[in-house]
Amino acid sequence: MMMTSQKRNWILDLVMLPIGLAVFFPFYLIIINTFKTLQDATRNPIGLPKEWILTNYVQVFEETALLRSFGNSLTITFFSVTLVVIIGAMGAYPVVFNANRVTKFAMLYLLAGFMIPFQATLIPLFQLMTGLNLIDKLYGLIALYLNGSVFVFFLMMGYMRTIPRELSEAAVIDGCTVWGIFWRIIFPLLKPISTTAVIFQTMWIWNDFLAPMLFLNSSSNSTLVLQIYRAKGEFTVHWPMFMTLTVVTLVPIFLFFIFMQKHIVKGIAAGAVKG
Amino acid sequence: MIKFKRQLQFQSFLLPILIVYTLFTIYPLLQSLFLSFTNFGGYSNVYDFVGFRNYERLFVDDAIRASISYTLLFTFGKALLVTVFAIPLAMILDQNFLTRNLHRAIFFFPSIPSGLLIAYIWGFILAPIGSGVLNKILNQLFNIGAQPWLSDPLLAKLSTIFVATWAITGWHAVLYLAFLQSIPKDYYEAASIDGANRFQQFRYVTLPLLAPAMTVSVMLLLTGGLKVFEIPFALTKGGPGFETLTVTQVIVQKGITEAQYGLASAMSVVFFLIVLVIAIFQVTMMQRREQDL
Repeated sequence: MMMTSQKRNWILDLVMLPIGLAVFFPFYLIIINTFKTLQDATRNPIGLPKEWILTNYVQVFEETALLRSFGNSLTITFFSVTLVVIIGAMGAYPVVFNANRVTKFAMLYLLAGFMIPFQATLIPLFQLMTGLNLIDKLYGLIALYLNGSVFVFFLMMGYMRTIPRELSEAAVIDGCTVWGIFWRIIFPLLKPISTTAVIFQTMWIWNDFLAPMLFLNSSSNSTLVLQIYRAKGEFTVHWPMFMTLTVVTLVPIFLFFIFMQKHIVKGIAAGAVKG
Repeated sequence: MIKFKRQLQFQSFLLPILIVYTLFTIYPLLQSLFLSFTNFGGYSNVYDFVGFRNYERLFVDDAIRASISYTLLFTFGKALLVTVFAIPLAMILDQNFLTRNLHRAIFFFPSIPSGLLIAYIWGFILAPIGSGVLNKILNQLFNIGAQPWLSDPLLAKLSTIFVATWAITGWHAVLYLAFLQSIPKDYYEAASIDGANRFQQFRYVTLPLLAPAMTVSVMLLLTGGLKVFEIPFALTKGGPGFETLTVTQVIVQKGITEAQYGLASAMSVVFFLIVLVIAIFQVTMMQRREQDL
């Protein structure tokens, strides 16, 4: 079994198929019920629809501010992730390429807080956000997510150590400024690790529920996840509608997964080996 | 002078991260510590120092005690189950079979959506009334009556742990898979020439080489598990009673909804210490074990 001869193991197909189907079952269930009327879904939640309908999809777009929430999620995720990657990479740059007492202290300072959970800082954060007038503002939530740059900083630091120092030294001789070296030489070289950082941060910010729940109150500022949370109350009776909303919100993140699949698997491996 | 200017330019790159980190992590943590010794009510600026009274209250408050024990049960239960399932799963997904890539995708899928959505989907399946999908299936197949999957204290705990395990096992299997694929095949050939059977190959070749992956995976499971919020919140709202109440939910409830800032801050500080102690203990233990294997 261990010595993978090139022969295909058909027994594994037979054993794994029922298990795979069971694992996939919840997804099958929500997808299939989006094509049913309420009566059909209530009488027969598991089987195929008696009659395939699309009215749930039409209705869900009409009755919820779905596109607006999608836009909010996209805005928050895009700006947070971009800034987090830039801030993390910028921080790692002097620590790796100009190590001295100051950078060493900064690194230890950042390391000390690596284990601090968001939840342990929640109450003062709530006061701080209120004080800075950042509650119920998309940019307020973006500011909060900048916290993720500490995680990115450590990813970047590990990767930057593999970049030959001669590269930046040659650029100094050519008269490049510190700023210029970073943007024109170092940052482009960070692409593989930036991709990993973008994936982890995107999945985390796009899916986050706790921070939007606490810091975005008005429904016009809802993220997609928050929209689901609020719709749960609205659609308790008409649950095929709720499932339709769920399926629609799942589409973007699954597309992201399909396009980034290779990088995601590589990222998990890279992150794990570094850790 | 030019050198000094260059130094300054270099250090300025650290400014954004230091500002963000100090403002949104360090300052709130110190503030939590400070507030935990006061009776601050949130609205007026008048407060008194109350010493350790908030900490004493932590140990007599039923909701808080329940939340700590459930969060620990959830964390260790999930970490154990995920590890037990993810390692064999990774070994299977490493084999050569026709539907391999399909299965890799299927097992990874549940880790993609938000925990809130996952929990709501399972909420339909585990609905305690007769119309719950699982109860319907069990009734049709085995003629079993409706089970209170989410409203019985023990079943609710098991259900939330099960859903969380379903959601993340595939992700951890991918992590183990990455390590498995880095094990040279000659190791197994050498082991089998030396007469090692399959179990011995697993015990003396695979397991030691997977140990570093296990350290990382278990660390992620433990630190992630302690911070759990969405899945129990969306499945059971912490009920029945306080049976599936999480630490995070208690902090939100006491601190923000009820404005008991002092008490919730004390809870936050204790929570931070629990995370820190468990993480340090786990990593040192498992790194030592890596060498023993």
